[in-house]
Amino acid sequence: MDCSLGNIAGRGSQEEAFDEPLGGPVRFPGGIAMPVQLEKVLGFGRSFSFWPLLFGLACCAIEMMALGGPRFDMSRFGMEAMRASPRQADGMIIAGWCSIKMAPRVVRLYEQIPDPKWVLAMGSCAISGNIWDTYHVVQGIDSLIPVDVYVPGCPPRPEALWEGLEMIRERIKQSRHAYDGLRRIPAREALAQATASSVPPAVPLEVPLVEVPRS
Amino acid sequence: MSAGGGAERPLPASLLAADRAVLDRFGARILERIEAFGELTYCVAPGDWTEVLSFLKDSPEGAFDQLDCLLGDHLPEREDRPLAVVVHLVSHAHGHRLRVKTALAEGQGLPTLTGLWPSAGFDEREAWEMFGILFEGHPDLRRLLTTDDFEGHPLRKDFPLQGTVGGRIRIDLRGKI
Repeated sequence: MDCSLGNIAGRGSQEEAFDEPLGGPVRFPGGIAMPVQLEKVLGFGRSFSFWPLLFGLACCAIEMMALGGPRFDMSRFGMEAMRASPRQADGMIIAGWCSIKMAPRVVRLYEQIPDPKWVLAMGSCAISGNIWDTYHVVQGIDSLIPVDVYVPGCPPRPEALWEGLEMIRERIKQSRHAYDGLRRIPAREALAQATASSVPPAVPLEVPLVEVPRS
Repeated sequence: MSAGGGAERPLPASLLAADRAVLDRFGARILERIEAFGELTYCVAPGDWTEVLSFLKDSPEGAFDQLDCLLGDHLPEREDRPLAVVVHLVSHAHGHRLRVKTALAEGQGLPTLTGLWPSAGFDEREAWEMFGILFEGHPDLRRLLTTDDFEGHPLRKDFPLQGTVGGRIRIDLRGKI
């Protein structure tokens, strides 16, 4: 490995960089293995060009736009390129409350972002549903997809979102993802159920044109 | 009259002409006529719903070419007819607006307006979904804002405000992702 890359990564001297435990190599499909140290270099590079998905759900997205605008200007940190396609994004900012109707779309967008990916839940609604403990709001987006950083607030100020993005940057440098420690990713588990079970849904998708009796 | 208007604010002349035409044609079938703040509201019986509204659309005095919105309403204190439907009409030819209301009993249907204004389709879907008002003859009366397997009509006053009521918060993503 080119030792000079360790210096670029700001990890101190060459000796210190090599003193860190290397761990096992990262294996990719096709038999390619990558030393962990190189993964750190990649993480260093990624951390300065985190491109979030251009995607807002509710009023928190206004604060997200403020962070993208000239006053707070997240382009200073290489995060201004909000990609409109999940194929080009590095992660997503769940900005606002997610309705149950919207939930399958959010999951689909998450699944379309290529690995590695990071998710930031912005605002109380994305974290817990906030006051919308009602019939139509997902009670915390982490019931659907793994979340890296939670930024509380209603809505959080742009500085708070900036701080959350800095925490994402740290996680990128360390190559840590929210899905690392999970035994299951909720959405993927649902997908596995969908492919494994041949049982039709309990409730037909077409709602008949009758009055539904209330319990 | 003060410049700011108020309950005494007069109706526009074009709307007065339409008002006269409607009253000449329907008379007592307009159950109630409310005039306030420069706006006019009719209350009609559900049986006259289509006839009154098609007259308003087609008469040259009315010429209401746009259905601005169609709303449902739930008034449980009105026990015999707890449901209501309100339409807001706009005439671009005359520049005036009109509101028409009707009251419905529980389970009573109302003829659809999609034949008069195609934009009524989404509004009627929403009114059915949120209040359980049946629109007879609607071509596609499916749920609009909630998921397909949702049970109940959430904008009714007796719908629980809070909680995972009756298992309504179900995140069943099978076949959707």
